[in-house]
Amino acid sequence: MTATTTTTAEPALGRPGPAPLRLMRSELLKIVTTKAWWLLLLGALAMLALAFLVNAIGADFAFGESAPEGIPAEDRAAFEASRNEVYQAANLYTSGQFFGLMFVMLLGIILMTGEFFHQTATATFLATPHRTAVVLAKLAVAALCGAVLWAVTTTLTVPATATFLQRYDVPSHLGDWPVQRAIMLNLLAYGIWGMFGVSLGVLIRSQIGATVTAVALYLIGTAAVQIILAILEQQLGWDWVSNVQYAMPAVASALMVTGTDLPGEPAWWVGGLVLVAYVVVAGGLGILINRRRDVS
Amino acid sequence: MSDGQIVVSGLTKQFKRVRAVDGLSLVVEPGRVTGFLGPNGAGKTTTLRMLLNLVTPTAGTATIGGSRYADLDQPLRHVGAVLEASSAHKGRTGRNHLRVICAAAGFPARRADEVLDLVGLTPAAKRKFKGYSLGMRQRLGIAAAMLGNPRVLILDEPANGLDPEGIRWMRDLLRSLAAQGRTIFVSSHLLSEMELLAHDVIIIAAGRLVAQGPVEQVIGGMAGGGVRIRVRTPEPEKLVAELGSAATAQPGENGALLVTGVDAPTVGAAALRASVELHELVAERPDLERVFLELTAGKAAIR
Repeated sequence: MTATTTTTAEPALGRPGPAPLRLMRSELLKIVTTKAWWLLLLGALAMLALAFLVNAIGADFAFGESAPEGIPAEDRAAFEASRNEVYQAANLYTSGQFFGLMFVMLLGIILMTGEFFHQTATATFLATPHRTAVVLAKLAVAALCGAVLWAVTTTLTVPATATFLQRYDVPSHLGDWPVQRAIMLNLLAYGIWGMFGVSLGVLIRSQIGATVTAVALYLIGTAAVQIILAILEQQLGWDWVSNVQYAMPAVASALMVTGTDLPGEPAWWVGGLVLVAYVVVAGGLGILINRRRDVS
Repeated sequence: MSDGQIVVSGLTKQFKRVRAVDGLSLVVEPGRVTGFLGPNGAGKTTTLRMLLNLVTPTAGTATIGGSRYADLDQPLRHVGAVLEASSAHKGRTGRNHLRVICAAAGFPARRADEVLDLVGLTPAAKRKFKGYSLGMRQRLGIAAAMLGNPRVLILDEPANGLDPEGIRWMRDLLRSLAAQGRTIFVSSHLLSEMELLAHDVIIIAAGRLVAQGPVEQVIGGMAGGGVRIRVRTPEPEKLVAELGSAATAQPGENGALLVTGVDAPTVGAAALRASVELHELVAERPDLERVFLELTAGKAAIR
């Protein structure tokens, strides 16, 4: 087109880089040029401090006490497992996870629904008419932001945990595979929850609707389902019913990041599969809907 | 994309209960400013959004330079669009808004400052969007559209919220861009503004094409060549009798007589023959507004 344009000064537009990288850069810019990200980071750090405190008190209790008398053998086994130094170390190293994951999810939701809330979807889809590529870039950037939050929290929890364990003459256990695995799985959880937020945002376009749904499901829904299932199990004697709770994202996530397999619980990777399934189904459905949805 | 011709063919959009655009076909030529006119709810915005792949058509096609928007390689280098004034994040600065688009399109970040300068927004570059006036928002929208130095510019009601100086600035900018050979397709309901700005007009109502062509032709194509003679005389009956059946006369304001079907010299000659005293003899060209109202009359805006 330059051949026929008679513009006096043709601006230098440069050669564009690969589309996925361009889109990811654009999405990252969207995050860092508004203030939501540092509000979420502040929230995550505050909850991290609180969670570490709670976990430290729990560890202090576990290291100090022996199993109470007269509890059933099965519960005793679970208690002994939780007394395990490695379990406590992994728990401390992954402190702040519960709320950290929620904040990453919220960032993912904002990244997607903000396009409609602030009517920037028009500009975004004019620059890139291939909407699937836009959503994929958002998924990648949300996962990246999750990884960054993981790096920040882990940088804080590792020295704090090592110092704490030292007071009980317990080694840091950083060289133990279960602890390393727990820290790595924590990274995976942060990444997946960021993507989960984006997927939810594509499905529920309203920012307020998506945020409220997500937080309610995360905080109240999980507990409510666990209580209902516990009652069902108690009253009807259905043992299998307690396994249904692992279909809840937050419970599945907690299961995935446990460094050791607790007796009576499914293996850690079951939780990972549940989470990945959620992202694939919600994200895939969202992308399909988004492809033909009118932007106005 | 060799040229910037816009071709819309049989374009239809059926919303749940309303057929917003109904088998619309039109052509927009490069190197000219084309006004896209219609009453509120006529389907202008929906048509523009279908052209830009933001709204999926129920039927028909819309191409720019022979390609659908979605098929354009790096669309912002070919087409710039200004759709609604409030389309940036409230908490983001104008400059950052443009840099986000630059990043997605692969333009250097410096381009953001260049277009801010082009639209005269440099002093407000680092101010947040929520502090922008409506006029500044329009300018930011035009800046975003100009990022890729596109050959085709599509603007939806760009004069909305602009003060008289801003409207003049916009008119000069769009005219000069068209003079560079670009295609300028601009929707508006401000008819007087369009008459000054556009070379061609496309008028739609109720989702359908009503008229299309150069402004003079569309105006001239109206009733009786469009020209109306206003004449003032103490003896109107005598003059009407002398004009005969070729002319149609009706009373106007303040005792004036409005004559259509004949031109001004004919009326003057008739007055001379009939020895009628004339106080006023004016040939009135109809304006776009009258044409527009006549063409779209009866096509309900609210459907």
